[in-house]
Amino acid sequence: MTTAGPEQGEQVPQYVYGVTRPGVAVPEALTGVEDQPVRLIEHERCAAVAGDLPVQRPLRERGDLVAHQRVLEAFLEAGGVVAPFRFGAVLAGPGAVREELLAANAERLAEVLDHLDGRVELRVRGTYVQDAVLREALAEEPEIADLNDRIRRVPDGAAEAAHYDRVRLGEMIAQSLERRRDRDGQALLEALAPAAEALVRKPPARQEDVVDAAFLVSRDRRDRFEEAVRDLGARHADRITLRLIGPLPPYDFVPEA
Amino acid sequence: MSGPIAQQTSGTTYQQSQGGQRGGTLADVVDLILEKGLVIDLYARVALVGIEILTVDVRIVVASVDTYLRFAEACNRLDLAGTGNAQGLPEMVGGLTESGAGRKTKGALQGAQEKLKETFGGSEPEKGSEEDSEEKERQPARRRPSRKEDQE
Repeated sequence: MTTAGPEQGEQVPQYVYGVTRPGVAVPEALTGVEDQPVRLIEHERCAAVAGDLPVQRPLRERGDLVAHQRVLEAFLEAGGVVAPFRFGAVLAGPGAVREELLAANAERLAEVLDHLDGRVELRVRGTYVQDAVLREALAEEPEIADLNDRIRRVPDGAAEAAHYDRVRLGEMIAQSLERRRDRDGQALLEALAPAAEALVRKPPARQEDVVDAAFLVSRDRRDRFEEAVRDLGARHADRITLRLIGPLPPYDFVPEA
Repeated sequence: MSGPIAQQTSGTTYQQSQGGQRGGTLADVVDLILEKGLVIDLYARVALVGIEILTVDVRIVVASVDTYLRFAEACNRLDLAGTGNAQGLPEMVGGLTESGAGRKTKGALQGAQEKLKETFGGSEPEKGSEEDSEEKERQPARRRPSRKEDQE
């Protein structure tokens, strides 16, 4: 599986998943994009996790993304350090991977690996339990409760007339959620930050999202971190659903440029 | 800890994918795969061999009339037996906790143990169905009608 291959000369394009340490064992029977075997292309202190990409077609299918993630996860799971590449990195051939990628950036890549050594990424996403926060808003904000009452008293036949009131009510609720999110999101992050080495907070994707953040966590403190998430989840379960995703390759903790 | 990692601690300008499809946990990482990670052409001059790269439709929350109406609707349909004045509220919240909390916490834990590999591949059917139910739980708007349980 680790054969450098006799096809050295003929320049098969190489899909690059990430960078790891040389000498790391490739997980058995691991295949990536196009079901191609995965191998290491090594150069001094770094090794590219790569595979042939014999066909030229757009890389855009779900299976391609899944393969990318699968390969990186396999290395992560084996306990190694791996700096993930963004999806879609392709070089002209094994020689190009060794020279243009690894040799030309040896120093930098080694530095990135040093930073990531022994750490994984864990992602925490929190979503409001909708009815619970709506009740909070109604209970704590009289304007919302009043408008809601008024709309409820509109007879069925005249429902159309209340359209703008409903939009206004929804808008007030959205604003209320936003204020709650600022407050709650910050509190959640602060509760988890001590168990992590770094964190990246992401903008919420939906109105009912409270928090979406990536944490860089040392492998030997992972249990502690997960426990912190569990505790936090239990404490807020009546109004916030917390989800923990990972361990993930540390996508959020490699330099972007 | 210095260098690139420390720089990353200060938040980013990155936009979250809306995750149009909720098929599985791919939705939880697709934004990372497509928008994060080392970028090869910053490191090397690359012959991209004519490969077309997938792009993701990135959106962040934009409040819309639709969203507003959805909230208004949800609010209207709440059982109002205790809102406005705060009494009765703890009871309701308590009810929610009972029926919802146990599951939720477990959900978080399962998430932790979940290997994406498994949920991705769909090679383990029972994982798949577990994932499905978890997915649904994340969609309060559609799922919430099961309010009867809480009314006790």
